[in-house]
Amino acid sequence: MPTETSRSAPEERLVNLVVALMATEQGLTKDTILSSVAGYREQGSAGASKDALEKMFERDKENLRSLGIPVETIGDYADPDDLREARYRIPTAEYELPADIEFTPAELAVLNLAGGVWSESSMSADARSGLRKIRALGIDVDAPIIGYSPRVNLREPAFAPMQRAIEQGRVVEFSYLKAGEESARVRRVQPYALIEYEARWHVYGFDLIQGDVRTFLLSRIVSDVAITRTTFDLALREGAGERALTGLAELAARQQALLEIAPGTEAALRLTRRATPADQGIRVPYVDVHIFADELASYGPEVRVVEPGELRDQVIARLERTLRVHGTGAGERS
Amino acid sequence: MSARRKPLLATDRAALILQLVPYLIGKGEVSLTEAAEEFDVTVEQMRTMVEKLTVIGLPGDGGFWQMANDLFDIDWDLLDQQDLIVITNTVGLERTPRLTAPEAAALLAGLRVAASLPGVGDSGVIQGLLAKLARGASGVPADVIVASGEVDDVRLTVDRALRDGVAVAFTYQAPDAAPTTRTVDPVKVHLAGGQWYLQGWCHLRQAMRTFHLDRVSDVHLTDIVSTHGDDSVPALFEGASRDVEVVVRYRASAAPLLADYVVIDDPADAGAAVRSARVRVGDARSLKRVAAKLGGDLEIVGPDAARHAAAAWAEAGLAQYA
Repeated sequence: MPTETSRSAPEERLVNLVVALMATEQGLTKDTILSSVAGYREQGSAGASKDALEKMFERDKENLRSLGIPVETIGDYADPDDLREARYRIPTAEYELPADIEFTPAELAVLNLAGGVWSESSMSADARSGLRKIRALGIDVDAPIIGYSPRVNLREPAFAPMQRAIEQGRVVEFSYLKAGEESARVRRVQPYALIEYEARWHVYGFDLIQGDVRTFLLSRIVSDVAITRTTFDLALREGAGERALTGLAELAARQQALLEIAPGTEAALRLTRRATPADQGIRVPYVDVHIFADELASYGPEVRVVEPGELRDQVIARLERTLRVHGTGAGERS
Repeated sequence: MSARRKPLLATDRAALILQLVPYLIGKGEVSLTEAAEEFDVTVEQMRTMVEKLTVIGLPGDGGFWQMANDLFDIDWDLLDQQDLIVITNTVGLERTPRLTAPEAAALLAGLRVAASLPGVGDSGVIQGLLAKLARGASGVPADVIVASGEVDDVRLTVDRALRDGVAVAFTYQAPDAAPTTRTVDPVKVHLAGGQWYLQGWCHLRQAMRTFHLDRVSDVHLTDIVSTHGDDSVPALFEGASRDVEVVVRYRASAAPLLADYVVIDDPADAGAAVRSARVRVGDARSLKRVAAKLGGDLEIVGPDAARHAAAAWAEAGLAQYA
């Protein structure tokens, strides 16, 4: 539906700006842009103030950068802070997918599988958009990899802002309700990596209040995630995901529960896979005492916690609450 | 398809136009329908995008309007008469833009998941792809990692059966039931919430069934040729027997833990801290495990058998510590 008005849609102005900034080698000054690029030009002649146009240009530049488009500012060499004569351009080499990156039909088939793992979320939209760019290279694709349907759940609202903060290297603030505590506390964190471990999403980063690295469960963040203006050194993120995984694995290796299980039961089936045999029962590593207590409580009489005491108490507390809520087990025994 | 369409912001629409030009050049000629499908938009939205493209171009010189050659153009007759898109003049944007950091992150993390599948991870393709994606991104993507468990003999044998097109035999331990021996034509392996499931044609039940791989043991390949390998399968968890309704009350904070169940909330409780709902299950007593897991955050109201089962389950558990 072409519009009859002279005022063009903002996306047209944005794309016009990209075309203009890519077509120039030496860069365009702000004045040239505002007077010649369609979108600004019409609004200028329709009477918009220079100030309003400049603000619009600043916003547009930020929006393009948020799309990963490298808008370069070439300032005055003598005084880099003086932007009055600054020129703007988009270097083609940094805008375009490098021409020497090619994908084989087999690689594209694996990428299609990889892009399909996300349940409905920002990640699924990003994966589809990324695949679309790669498909636009016009590569043939092997037959789809059938027989497998991997799926990763992502329901936590904290994920998207956390990811943005990691990309930009910004400190975040959020309220965190630690399991077993009554009230939430505010945390100030440099976020480094997002990890799904045992089907739960965690953020790994440096807790500025505790003064140490910490791993937080996204599901226990009870406020919006505020991205602050405080930045941190992006180099701190390097290898953070692997460090977090190692940390969680070491924690699990340190925390071993001694359990007695009834053979042939659901508990035996689920726990034996993760267990090592012990003199009295089995030893099972765990990361979070509250989450493991949830699981063990579900097994009811099929498992008995020998140690540690904290885990044992947690399981007993859950069973007691369950019994209290449902009355006594008078009547049927299952 | 339509469910995932969200209203697009101007910046999103600009991003789509930047992707549209190289796509159209690559295609040569493409129908509105196919392009709309590729870009996750409606046919009308695609038509508008293509029409908008023709008013985009290089800056006009000294305030004059652009010349026709300075604008993108399309074959209007083909669009108006046959709903076909052919781009006839370009003024830039011919090459695909780099991946954004979030696009790269989503694909990189997905690749790590794919790498955990037998036959994909060991094919050598993954390492090359990880490097290419990192190089093709416009910024350093956030580290997003999905930890994967190890691939054991059960998973490897099922993978072999899928590839060889033969039935697989195993002992299956369903919850609260005696073990059975199954022979299954494998169709699809699902990895969901960190759990592995096999969907396939069960020779014993003469029907499509879903098997949790943790409940599978004594697995071996058969020499029976799989005859249902190409059958379509229902979505995971769909079609399982869910004939019994249990009435529950639960704390809103426990809602995510009920995600695997069919939960019909009482509309009167929307937004309340404690909600009433009906939950559909195969066996009313199976909810006792959920009730104990949620430790009082979920109360089974009825039927009585289900409520008593939960109480008895907790009582028997506690008796071990008396």
